[in-house]
Amino acid sequence: MSDKKVKVPEAGQWPDNLVVPAVLAGAVLTTAGFLMAFLMVGPVNGAALSSPELVGDVMVTNQQLLSQKIFYFHMPVAIVSFVALVFAAYYGIRFLMGRQQRFDTCSRVAMEIALLFVVFTMVTGDLWTRFEWGVWWTWEPRLTTYLILMLIVIAYFVLRNAVDDPERRAVFSGVISIIALVDVPICFMITRLIPSSVHPVVAREGGMAPDMVAAVMIIMAGMMLVAFGLYRLRFRQARLDERVQALKDQLEDY
Amino acid sequence: MKTTKRGDSPNCHFAAKPSTFSQYKTLLAKDLRQEFRTREMLTSMGIYALLVIIVYGAALALTANGLDIMKMGGGLLWVLIVFTSLLGLGRSFAHEKDQGCMEGILLVPLDRSVIFLAKTTANVLFMLAVEVIAVPLFYFFFMTGQPVAPTLPAIVAPLAVGTIGMAGIGTMLSTITMNTRAKDVMLAVLFIPLIYPLLYACVTATTAAIAGTEFWTDYFVMPLVLACGYDVVMLLVCWVLYDFVVSA
Amino acid sequence: MMSGPDSPAILACGLTKAFGTRKALDRVSFELPEGAFLSIFGPNGAGKTTLLRVLSTLVRPTGGKASLCGIDLTEEPDKARGLVGMISHQSMLYPDLTAEENLLLYAELYGVSDPKARVGELLEAVGLAHRRLDAVRTFSRGMTQRVSIARALVHDPRVVFLDEPYSGLDPHAIEIFDELIESTRADRTFVMVSHDLAKGFAMCTHALVLARGRVVSFAPKDELDFDDFAQLYRETVGMGVA
Repeated sequence: MSDKKVKVPEAGQWPDNLVVPAVLAGAVLTTAGFLMAFLMVGPVNGAALSSPELVGDVMVTNQQLLSQKIFYFHMPVAIVSFVALVFAAYYGIRFLMGRQQRFDTCSRVAMEIALLFVVFTMVTGDLWTRFEWGVWWTWEPRLTTYLILMLIVIAYFVLRNAVDDPERRAVFSGVISIIALVDVPICFMITRLIPSSVHPVVAREGGMAPDMVAAVMIIMAGMMLVAFGLYRLRFRQARLDERVQALKDQLEDY
Repeated sequence: MKTTKRGDSPNCHFAAKPSTFSQYKTLLAKDLRQEFRTREMLTSMGIYALLVIIVYGAALALTANGLDIMKMGGGLLWVLIVFTSLLGLGRSFAHEKDQGCMEGILLVPLDRSVIFLAKTTANVLFMLAVEVIAVPLFYFFFMTGQPVAPTLPAIVAPLAVGTIGMAGIGTMLSTITMNTRAKDVMLAVLFIPLIYPLLYACVTATTAAIAGTEFWTDYFVMPLVLACGYDVVMLLVCWVLYDFVVSA
Repeated sequence: MMSGPDSPAILACGLTKAFGTRKALDRVSFELPEGAFLSIFGPNGAGKTTLLRVLSTLVRPTGGKASLCGIDLTEEPDKARGLVGMISHQSMLYPDLTAEENLLLYAELYGVSDPKARVGELLEAVGLAHRRLDAVRTFSRGMTQRVSIARALVHDPRVVFLDEPYSGLDPHAIEIFDELIESTRADRTFVMVSHDLAKGFAMCTHALVLARGRVVSFAPKDELDFDDFAQLYRETVGMGVA
């Protein structure tokens, strides 16, 4: 009864062709970075200990030096998760401006990637905390910020589930993704800037050795590629879902 | 019904579009009048605050004597405030939703952010009104046994800053959650992580003022400034985004 | 652009409201002269309420254009809002405020020049002047609906939308409601969404049938025969959406 052209959401544009190479390259780079971190980059400042020793008034064991290796995994993951969050908010803004369902899907998928990497960050950070400070949890600025970030991202998905109307859901999630992006740096700043007598001060500051930087960069590049691959895969799946839904709707029409 | 003859203007009853400020006053007056009539929010929030205090009494019954209440007081007070405001904020849009009044207001030619500002102001006033009762009660039940630091009155500043920020973001979020399933849980799930930075800053400042130790300003001024920064940024973001949320 | 004498009360041109591929409204076009009474019919989910929400500026259309008395809805929404009144099955009144306070609230928000006098006049007209100091909560459904007529007319709108106004009204209240609407007709334009085919048809000057967001038929009543129309409507509903 209708003469209009069948128009359905498209999926599988050119970036999808990059998924396989990206994920492969990402895996290779990440693995290479890991091997580099463990085999080539020395412990901090090239220290290696066979027995516990006193370094700068602090008892240091080899275990702690090794635990530092988690850092090579932890930092890139944390940065990727934040990048994903930035993309989620960016697509949130795009959606609010144009009201195209496509951008809502982008935003949601970016948020899913953010959730995945935030959880990785939490896990690696927590392992580090356990080895470094001997506690499973401490209200240290970075940990706190990431816990809050994780809760916000989870809240985002809880909210999505609680709204029935698709357009309203998209608007609300877009708004929350923007608020989340604004909230996270504030959270980090506030927990960090307020002087506290309870928390141990994180002493491992200072510059990184060039070989450390190289390892971190390689792993980060690898992680980014993996994240991109995952994003495109998930996006493709979500779009195909929408496509099927649209085709079903159209079938009902005839 | 008498219909006035229309002249050249399509709307003879219009003097002029009322100023944004007068619309703001009208909306705020509506919220306050409604509250004075029913006292719904104030009673429920007030009783809730009292109940939390009673729960504290039970929770701290065995430790109260040896407890350094001056260090815990700030935190406990803010727990009280957060949960009480959560209750109030959750209900602040109940009347708007019930009979479709929100739609009626959206049909009026007015800037959407006026709705946000009016509602936020109303929520700030309700929360402050409850705090005026709850804070002295808290003091009365838990802190009279201890010598009072001369800096105690300074807690007014973090209370005010915290209340404004919470009311702002809470108004935004409860506008969102009034259209969701399981409203109350949803509000808490969004509200608490998002106000965490503000809460953290305000608790630090309040604790510093209550303890009033020698270098208390170190722990007071900086958090307060940061809390103000949070308020400004978040209120601006909410103010900008409110149009999308309320018209969705 | 000011409304000229020749600009139609409602002009919809290719109005579309969609999200993703779901179209709530699909290229809806019609033109309604001033002073007309349009009844919109259609099965559940046909997009009647969406159309009303788009025309009353509560929802922005995805595509197409619409104007009220020559004022474009998307370009000058605030100006268009001043022309619109809405009576729905929800009263849009605060139950804890009195009838007068409710009307004053809206009168002040709209910027009516003498709110007190206007509200008094309206309450008189809907026959509730003696109850003006009572909370709306204490009113019967019929009385509440009368107050909400007054509410919708407080700024003397040129176009009034009625969204299922009869739901929950008893026959007597419906009678009063009809009389009130009749007395406010003047040169106002009305648009009504109703499930009651006979009633909607009796009141209207124009009829529009929607199905799946599309206009199935739009015609002045003079050109329609009720039985044929009812037949068309049944077929439309039979096509079923929801």
